[in-house]
Amino acid sequence: MTLILGYVATLLVTFFTYNIFVIGLNIQFGYAGILNFTVITFMAFGAYFYAVFVMPHADNSSQVFYILGLHWPWPLAMLAGIVASGALGYLVGLIALKRLRSDYLAIVTLATGTLVYGLFGNNNKLFDGWSGLFNVNQPFQSVATNHPNEFSWIFVVFSGVVMLVVWLFANRLYASPLGRSMRAIREDQDVVDSFGKNSFKVRMLAMVIGSVIVGIGGVLTIQYIGALSPAGWTTGETFVVWAALLVGGRANNLGAIVGSLLVAVIFNEATRYIPQVPSHPNLIPNLRNVIIGGLVILSIWFRPQGVVPEKKASFLEVPLVDKYAQGFPGEEPGGTLSPAASEA
Amino acid sequence: MAKSILEVKGIKLAFGGVQAIDDCSFHIEEGTITALIGPNGAGKSTMVNVISGTYRPDEGHVILDGKDVTRMPNYVRAQHGLLRTFQISREFANLTVLENLLVVRQGQVGESLFGALFRAKRWQEQTKELVAEANDILNTFGLYRLRNEYAGNLSGGQKRLVELARAVMAKPRLLLLDEPMAGVTPALIERLGHHIVELNRELGVTFVLVEHNLDVVEKICSRVVVMALGKQLADGTLAELRSNQAVIDAYLGGGARERVGS
Repeated sequence: MTLILGYVATLLVTFFTYNIFVIGLNIQFGYAGILNFTVITFMAFGAYFYAVFVMPHADNSSQVFYILGLHWPWPLAMLAGIVASGALGYLVGLIALKRLRSDYLAIVTLATGTLVYGLFGNNNKLFDGWSGLFNVNQPFQSVATNHPNEFSWIFVVFSGVVMLVVWLFANRLYASPLGRSMRAIREDQDVVDSFGKNSFKVRMLAMVIGSVIVGIGGVLTIQYIGALSPAGWTTGETFVVWAALLVGGRANNLGAIVGSLLVAVIFNEATRYIPQVPSHPNLIPNLRNVIIGGLVILSIWFRPQGVVPEKKASFLEVPLVDKYAQGFPGEEPGGTLSPAASEA
Repeated sequence: MAKSILEVKGIKLAFGGVQAIDDCSFHIEEGTITALIGPNGAGKSTMVNVISGTYRPDEGHVILDGKDVTRMPNYVRAQHGLLRTFQISREFANLTVLENLLVVRQGQVGESLFGALFRAKRWQEQTKELVAEANDILNTFGLYRLRNEYAGNLSGGQKRLVELARAVMAKPRLLLLDEPMAGVTPALIERLGHHIVELNRELGVTFVLVEHNLDVVEKICSRVVVMALGKQLADGTLAELRSNQAVIDAYLGGGARERVGS
């Protein structure tokens, strides 16, 4: 029973953190059309910076090296992790958003991810290289002492609340005029510029907001697990987040939730616990990737807008009398321009 | 003479070896509808891009309302009321027609991050007012029924109307229309022309049209600027230009001479 409860808690935390990742990516890609192919790097940034702010000074005699080691209280360290992730988003934005769009922008993000990955992995003075950080201070340790699962369940509630805040934030942003500007930029950036809006600034906002949100998810991840090494944030992980967004439905946060449940929890996490085939130890993980890839292909083929497509905007309005309900004077009734024809 | 709202002075712009605009100057008077005509490759669209700020000229100045805006990015010019449409309809395809209009209004409370998050009541109210205003405009253009349709699903002609309606929503003072009548039926040309004249008369919007259809130009434009080979060749009313030999040679020549009925 204890084991099952612990497992369920882990799945729930995974679900909530993936929701946060996918919502972050949704703001970048679903709202503003920014192709960020290194989502997971922002997660790692948030996690690592949380860790080095919350952990005590590195004890060099144990051959574990990392920068800072400020031993801040966890809420402050959490903030530091989030700021670090947002700052990386800002940097990438400065380099890439002014001049580049779509595929070229995607290449820059991919390159950034590879660069950070190589730098963090190979330089063991920064975040302890390939072995990564462990024994990272977790929150709620002073209250969760009675039972092995107590921390897990406190954390389920904590991450659930954080996710809820992110969700409410993302939905308000979507409905606001700022969100509408972002979606217009996704459709045609030049036109938005030519109507007097600084599209660079709006895209930068989307980039940074998305990075901050993914960073929040990163902090939660390392808070829950207490460790992170580069093996945990390879490029493949980015595509789990992408798959969740594409399958679930972009530009709709409900789609982000459905997608992370389907892809990140059911296909990615739950299948980790399928017993291994002893003669082929890599069979199950490889099959998992194949299945996620297949799921993306199927969903793009049969339901390109995702399981929960973007919602059509509707507004409270006072109905008007349609001046041209009968078509236009001098034009054939039912001609291409008469509204009646296009509704038929 | 009426006040010039726009003046271009000695504009030069080359793309590689192609001198697209070569020392071109003209001015536009406030409250007029001016046509910019000329043969293909004369530099008309390039000039629209220079005026609106998409391209920065190699030399010369763009003066809007007596203020040199040559170094101003396009979105700042738009904030001063200088707006444009595009040669090919560029609607926001996955936004509804109504949203296409809502998004272009400048100075909404919810456009800053702070406003969007913490002043929701205020922008919700404002959006309600804007919806009413946008619906009025859509009704004038006969697009009211289509307001909740995705703009990408509209026909080519309807998209043309959305382009113009959207520009009206942005409250332009000077509106550059790059071939607004390209690829539309004669009946729609009639209607677009009618809307342009009405906007000019009722809202005082100054128009500059790049247009090849001389019937339209004759009907709605009080003045015509002719460009050829990147230069301003002549300007005046279409009637005056018909007797201008340089214009006839460069643009009206051949069969067109009979068409404009000289």
